[in-house]
Amino acid sequence: MAESMETMNQAVKVMAEREGKYLTFILAKEEYGISILKIREIIGMMPITSVPQTPEFVKGVINLRGKVIPVIDLRVKFKMAATAYSDRTCIIVVEIQGAAGHIHMGCVVDAVSEVLNIRSRDIEDTPNFGANLDASYILGMAKMEGDVKILLDINRVLNADEVSSLDQTANENYKNH
Amino acid sequence: MTVEIIQNLMETISCDFILADPKEPETLSCLLPILKRLHGKCMEVSLTGKANEILKTREMITDISKALPPDPEEAKLVLDQLQQDLDTFSHLMVEFCPGDIPHLGEMLNTLDTLIDRSEEKEFAIFHEIGLACKRYVEFMILKNIPATAPLEQGVLLLKSIMRHLKKGEIFGYEYSDVLDILNTGLEQEKTRENSTQKEDDPKIDSQKIPVIDAQKEPEKISDDDLEILIDFVSEAEENLYTIEVSLIDLEQDPSNKDIINDIFRPFHTIKGVSGFLSLKKINTLAHTTENLLDSARSGDLVIDDMATDAILEAVDMLKALLARVKLSTETRIKQPDEDINVSVLREKLQNIQMAMTRGDSHPLGEILVQKGAISREKLNQALEFQTENPEKKIGEILVEGKQTEPKQVASALMEQSMPKNPTASQIKVSTQKLDDLVDYAGELVIAQSMLRQKTSNDPSLSQNVSQLGQIVTHMQNIAMSMRMIPIKTTFTKMIRLVRDLSRKSGKTVALDMVGEETEIDRNVVDALYEPMVHMIRNSVDHGIEHPSHRLEQGKPSQGTIILRAYHKGGHIIIEIEDDGKGLDKDIILEKAKATDLITGNEQMTDAQIYDLILQPGFSTAKQITDVSGRGVGMDVVKDGIEKFRGQLNIKSSKGVGTKFTISLPLTLAIIDGMLVRVDQEKYIIPTMAIQKAFKPDQEDCFTVEGKNEMVRDRGNLIPVIRLSELYNTSRQNKSVWDSLVVVVESKNEKRALLIDELLGKDEYVIKSLGKNLEDLESLAGGAILADGQVGLILDIHGIFKLVSKR
Repeated sequence: MAESMETMNQAVKVMAEREGKYLTFILAKEEYGISILKIREIIGMMPITSVPQTPEFVKGVINLRGKVIPVIDLRVKFKMAATAYSDRTCIIVVEIQGAAGHIHMGCVVDAVSEVLNIRSRDIEDTPNFGANLDASYILGMAKMEGDVKILLDINRVLNADEVSSLDQTANENYKNH
Repeated sequence: MTVEIIQNLMETISCDFILADPKEPETLSCLLPILKRLHGKCMEVSLTGKANEILKTREMITDISKALPPDPEEAKLVLDQLQQDLDTFSHLMVEFCPGDIPHLGEMLNTLDTLIDRSEEKEFAIFHEIGLACKRYVEFMILKNIPATAPLEQGVLLLKSIMRHLKKGEIFGYEYSDVLDILNTGLEQEKTRENSTQKEDDPKIDSQKIPVIDAQKEPEKISDDDLEILIDFVSEAEENLYTIEVSLIDLEQDPSNKDIINDIFRPFHTIKGVSGFLSLKKINTLAHTTENLLDSARSGDLVIDDMATDAILEAVDMLKALLARVKLSTETRIKQPDEDINVSVLREKLQNIQMAMTRGDSHPLGEILVQKGAISREKLNQALEFQTENPEKKIGEILVEGKQTEPKQVASALMEQSMPKNPTASQIKVSTQKLDDLVDYAGELVIAQSMLRQKTSNDPSLSQNVSQLGQIVTHMQNIAMSMRMIPIKTTFTKMIRLVRDLSRKSGKTVALDMVGEETEIDRNVVDALYEPMVHMIRNSVDHGIEHPSHRLEQGKPSQGTIILRAYHKGGHIIIEIEDDGKGLDKDIILEKAKATDLITGNEQMTDAQIYDLILQPGFSTAKQITDVSGRGVGMDVVKDGIEKFRGQLNIKSSKGVGTKFTISLPLTLAIIDGMLVRVDQEKYIIPTMAIQKAFKPDQEDCFTVEGKNEMVRDRGNLIPVIRLSELYNTSRQNKSVWDSLVVVVESKNEKRALLIDELLGKDEYVIKSLGKNLEDLESLAGGAILADGQVGLILDIHGIFKLVSKR
C-alpha cells in the first residue's frame, strides 16, 4: 500500500518535473534526451578498462580525475546493434540516485546533439509498446520541429541494483559457455 | 477679500476660544497662529488699532500658557515618551522569537526606561505593571521560557492605562488578575523547584506558562529544543567516553589530579547542560558524581576501587538516561524515565564521599624514598622538621639538610608534576572528506608531473615546478598520514571490557598493552574493534581459568591478557595473548565431529584443528554464559578480519595459553601489487598473495581428465587458473609452458595464475569501482595506473571461490 502510494507520488512528481532543459544525444539515428540536471559533464572517448563478471552493457571503468567510475554503453543496454566508436562518440557522465547515495556513471552515446528547452505541452506520455519494450525508463516523448525525442529517466535506465545484481547473471553466462 | 478672510478667521477664533480650556495649554496655543494670521491681515487692511488689540490678545494667551502650572505639560511630555516606550516594547514583543536572548535584553531595556519614567505618582499603576512585566522578562531570560502570553496581557493593560492617562481619567479598573498572570510563572517555577528537590520528579516541562496540564499527554519537543538536545546527546556521549577512559587510568594512579580533573570536567559539562535543558535525572546524577570528584580533586579523598565502580555505574546510568533522551529526539516525544532510579546510586555516591577519608597519595618525599634517593628515616626527620617550619617545602628541607641532591629533588618534582597523557587538541573530520583530500592530492601529483614534462625546457619555470612538486608531495604525505591514528584508542576500550568481564566471571585478569602507539589506518581501526571484543571475551571466558585452578597449576592467580601491536612488512600485527588453559585439541575435534564439521578420519595439523573454531556454529564452551559461548563469534571475527584483507592465526599450547594473531594491511588505501598482463588486459595481483613466479617446463605440466591443468613446482602440484578463461576475455589457448605462472596463496590454498607478462611491482592506491560494482567477488578494486588508465586489483581469495563454483 505504502509502496504503491510512493510510486504514485513519484509518478506525479515525474509528471511535474518533465518540463525543463534536456541534453539530447544520438543513438543509432534515434534522438534521446536526459534532463540537464542529471548531467555532470561530457567527456570524449577515453580508454575503458573492461571489468569481468559484469553484464555486457557495462563497458568497464574509467579514470575520471582520480575517481573510478563505471561506464555503460547505452546502445548495448537498449539492445541495439553495436558500432565502432568514432571521434564523435562521447561519454556523458550522469549523477544517479542509488541506494547508497549519489553515484556517478558514464554513458557511451554515438554523439551529443544539443540542449533543448522542452515544454510540458510538447511532451507526450509514453505509448504502450507492449511486451517487447520496457518503457518504464522512458519519461515521455517530446515532439520538437517534426522530430521525436525520447526522454529518458536516467535513474531508471541505470538502475544500480540491476547493475550489481547482474554479476550473477554474468557468472551464469560463464557457466553456459 | 481680506475682510472676508478676517471674518472667517474671527469665526474660527471664537469657536476655538469657546472650546479652549485654560487647563490645557494646547487648546490655547493653537489659537496663536490664527491670531498671528489675523494680525497680519488687519495690518494689510490698515486696521492698525485692531491689529494692536490682536497683538495684545496674543501676548495674553502666551502669558496664560506660561502662567499655567508646568506639570501638565511635563506630564504630557512624559506621557508621550511613555507612549513611545510602550509602542517600542509592543513592537519588540511581536517580533520576539523564543530563545533570542539579545532581543529579550532589548525588551528589558525598554521596560527599564518605561519604569524610570513612570516613577511619578500619577503613573503608579503603570509603574507597578511595568515592574511586573520586567520581572517576567527577566524570568523568561533566566529560565529560557518562550511563552509571551502574560506579557501580552501586561502590555494590553498598560495600553488601556495609557488611554486613560491621556484623557486625564483615573484608571479605576481591577487589574490584579493581570498582575497575577505575570507573577504565576515565577511562583510556579518556585514550587516546581521545591518539589523536585524533594523527590525525583518525572521530567517537567517548564515551558508551558500559564501551565497547561503537561503530564497527561506525551510532550512534543519543539524544533529548537530538538537541535539542542541532539547536540547535548552527542556531546555527552563523547564526554562519557572520555570519563570511562580516564577512570581506568585513574585506577592505576588514584591520586593523579590531572586525571581527576579530566573526569571532573566532562561531568561538570554534562551537569551544566542537562540543568539548562531541565533533564533533572541526568543533572542530579552528574551533580552528585561531580561532588564526589570535587572532593577527590581537592584532595579530601582518594578514588578507590569502590568509588571507581560507583562512578562507572553512574556513567552507565547516564548512558541509559541519555539513550532515553536520544530516543526522545528521534521520536520527538519525550520518553518517560521513571523506571530509571537514580536516587539509590546518588545515595551510594554520597555515602562514598562521606565515608572516604584521605588515603595514601604520593607526596614528594614518598617519590624520593621510592627512587632510593633518601631513606625512610631521613624523610621522617625532614617531615618532622616541616611540621615545625610549615612554610618550608619538603624538597628545600631535604636539600638544605644535605640529605639529597637538588638534581634528585628536581627529577622527583618532575615526576610529581608530569602530566599523564598529553592530549593534542583534535577535531573531527568526516572520513569522506579525508578520502577526497587523498584523492585530490594524488591527482595533484599526476598533474604536477605532467606540468614538469612540459616545462622541462624552461629552466626558470622548471625550478618553480619542482618546488611545487615538493609541496605537492608533502601535502600528499600529510593527507595520507591524516588517515592514520594510533591504535591506543581501540586498546583502551578493551581495558573497560576486561575489567567488567573479569568481575562478572569472578576471575582476576590484568591487561597489558604493548605498542599501543602504533599507527594504523582509521578504517582499519574500525575493523578491529568488533573482532577484538570477541576474542577478548573468549580469552576471559574460556581461556583464563578461575584463580583456584590457576594456583593448582602453579600459575599466578591473576591471569594476564597481553595486547600487542607492531608493524611488520606493511602490515599491522595485533596479538591477543592469554596465559590461560589453551585450546584443547581433543575437545575441538570431538565437537567438530558432533557438529559434522569433520568426519573424524582426516589427518589434521594443529593449525587446521585450531581453525575449526573459526567455523560458523562452533562453540566449545560447556555453559552458555552471558559473556560468550553462543557459538557465534569466532566465525564473525574471521569474516570481519578477512573483509579487510587481513588474516587470523591461532597458536595455542595446552595449559600455557593461546595467542590470536591478527594481521591487517597498514592502510586500506594502498596495496602493494604486481602489475601483470594477460592478453590485452592488465591486472594487479596483491604482492602479499604472491608466492613465486616462474616459467614452467613442459614436463612439469599435467592435466587431469584432459582439461584440469596442474603445474609442478618442487614436487607440489598446483592447479592452474586461466584468468582469460575465467573472465571470458579471450579464447586463445596458449599452453601452460609458453606462459608465465604466478603462484598465489590464500588461506593455505595455492593456485597458479597463467599470465603473459610481469609488468612491474608498485604501490597502488585502491579505489572503489563505484557503488554498484564493488560487490564483484574476484576484484578488490581499481587503481590508477601510470598511464592514467584504470587497472583492476584481483582478490585472490575471491578468484579461488569463483573457480570452485564452476
